[in-house]
Amino acid sequence: MTPGTTAEPATRSELPPRPRTWPRRTLIVSALAAFTVATCLPAIGGVEIDLGAIAQNWRRGAANLSALLQPNWAFVPRTVQPMLETLQMAFVGAAIAAALSVPLTLWAARPTNPHTPSRLAVRAVINVIRAVPDLVWATILVAMVGVGALPGLLTLVLFDVGIVVKLVSEAIDSADHPYLEAARAGGATQHQMNRGLALPQNLPLFANQWLYALELNVRISAILGIVGAGGIGRLLDERFGFFAYGDVSVIILEILVVVLIIEAASHLLRRRLA
Amino acid sequence: MTLDTRAEAGTGPASAAWPIRLDGVSVTYPNGTAALRDVSLTIEAGEMVSVVGLSGSGKSTLIRTLNGLVPVTSGTVTVGPHTVTGLSGRRLRQVRGHVGMIFQGFNLATRVDVYRNTLVGRFAQAGALRGFLGVPTAHDRDVTLAALDMVGMLDKVWTRAGSLSGGQQQRVAIARALSQEPSIMLADEPVASLDPPTAHAVMGELERINADHHLTVLVNLHLMDLARQYTHRMIGLRGGEVVYDGPAAEATEADFEQIYGRRIRPQDRLGGRT
Repeated sequence: MTPGTTAEPATRSELPPRPRTWPRRTLIVSALAAFTVATCLPAIGGVEIDLGAIAQNWRRGAANLSALLQPNWAFVPRTVQPMLETLQMAFVGAAIAAALSVPLTLWAARPTNPHTPSRLAVRAVINVIRAVPDLVWATILVAMVGVGALPGLLTLVLFDVGIVVKLVSEAIDSADHPYLEAARAGGATQHQMNRGLALPQNLPLFANQWLYALELNVRISAILGIVGAGGIGRLLDERFGFFAYGDVSVIILEILVVVLIIEAASHLLRRRLA
Repeated sequence: MTLDTRAEAGTGPASAAWPIRLDGVSVTYPNGTAALRDVSLTIEAGEMVSVVGLSGSGKSTLIRTLNGLVPVTSGTVTVGPHTVTGLSGRRLRQVRGHVGMIFQGFNLATRVDVYRNTLVGRFAQAGALRGFLGVPTAHDRDVTLAALDMVGMLDKVWTRAGSLSGGQQQRVAIARALSQEPSIMLADEPVASLDPPTAHAVMGELERINADHHLTVLVNLHLMDLARQYTHRMIGLRGGEVVYDGPAAEATEADFEQIYGRRIRPQDRLGGRT
């Protein structure tokens, strides 16, 4: 650096002091650690976790495990029908949810619904739907409409709508939508903008979440039967009741394979969408 | 709602130009910023006017008061036979339908094809049912395609807007505004995101719209040579007040220094075509 005739200062500009963040960070980490430990102390109302149970019951656990490791392949034909029912529930549920999610999502996002009261109302309904766990929905719906595939299907639709509407409407909220300003300047109604521009522009976001919902459906519908909501889960529950671990292991393996296939297919499709 | 001046199919949009009048217009944003202070202007039908000023001078606000995108705090805005101030809902959309607008960022839906982006210009003319269903008439289709043809983008009609170059996107945006068959054309920094040759091409397009279709054209610019070269009258804004109003070609360097509030710098000129 030469002290020159230029207007620039010859010395380097001063480095601003680095903000001290470590005391704060240490405090947060130690608070989290202390809280975690505290939740495991029964003396102050924490959960009681008896690790000794693993050691005491290891013999029974090992026996069940070895039974599970001997799948009863002769049972496969009896699983085909319930498995198909599970897949049907998953597909139909995802399709109905996809159709319902389009208007609900556009009503739940600020750029596509500037009217605050109606937007908050839609969001409130979606949040309530999401707050109830899927198995609780299934239990309630079985009590309401009876045992079978219908309560399972309704559970999946509610679950999917909750996920898709929340994720896609938040994605729409966080993005810029300059094309909507242009359409507004040209005298378009909000409905025309949503239908003609916002929906096609954000369709890949929707498609991504629809496929994700389908993946989740296959997984969830496999266990919904445990509370009487149809599908392979009902058979799983029944064979478990008979301690037929060979049959149970066939069902578990089948669920695993089907889930993996659906996930692989959906992954391929989503990569094409991106 | 149909325009009375129907062009024969193929010759493209045509309608009568409107004058613009601002009477003591002030705009103060909710955060307290005074963007316009007591601006009064009259622009005759068919004039080609530039509004020149640095960023923050209020020129974006000024242009947005003309179609009600920004509501005025006090004063009156009149375009053609309509008083924009105080309009809302359907009547405001009808006025907006007669005022085309293009933007610095083009404001196209990037994942939507050129045709559907341009069709947005016809939204204000759609009847209730067609508007709801999103079904254009044969006439809408003709006007849209003619507008695309006029800016030389007809061969890209089925291309996604996002895959076009900046200059092509701005041409599509111009076609979208032209398909409104507007009486006034507004342009907010239309060439600020374009390279010099493309910028000249787009300014030439606006010049042609003014000359061939006799539209009132109001264009926001910050570059002095573009204002001098393409527009007939120049309005200089600084701090939300009109500091210059006169012929653009004869504006002196001193006039521009008055508008900018500082000395002329090299970046105040685009260069290129003379």
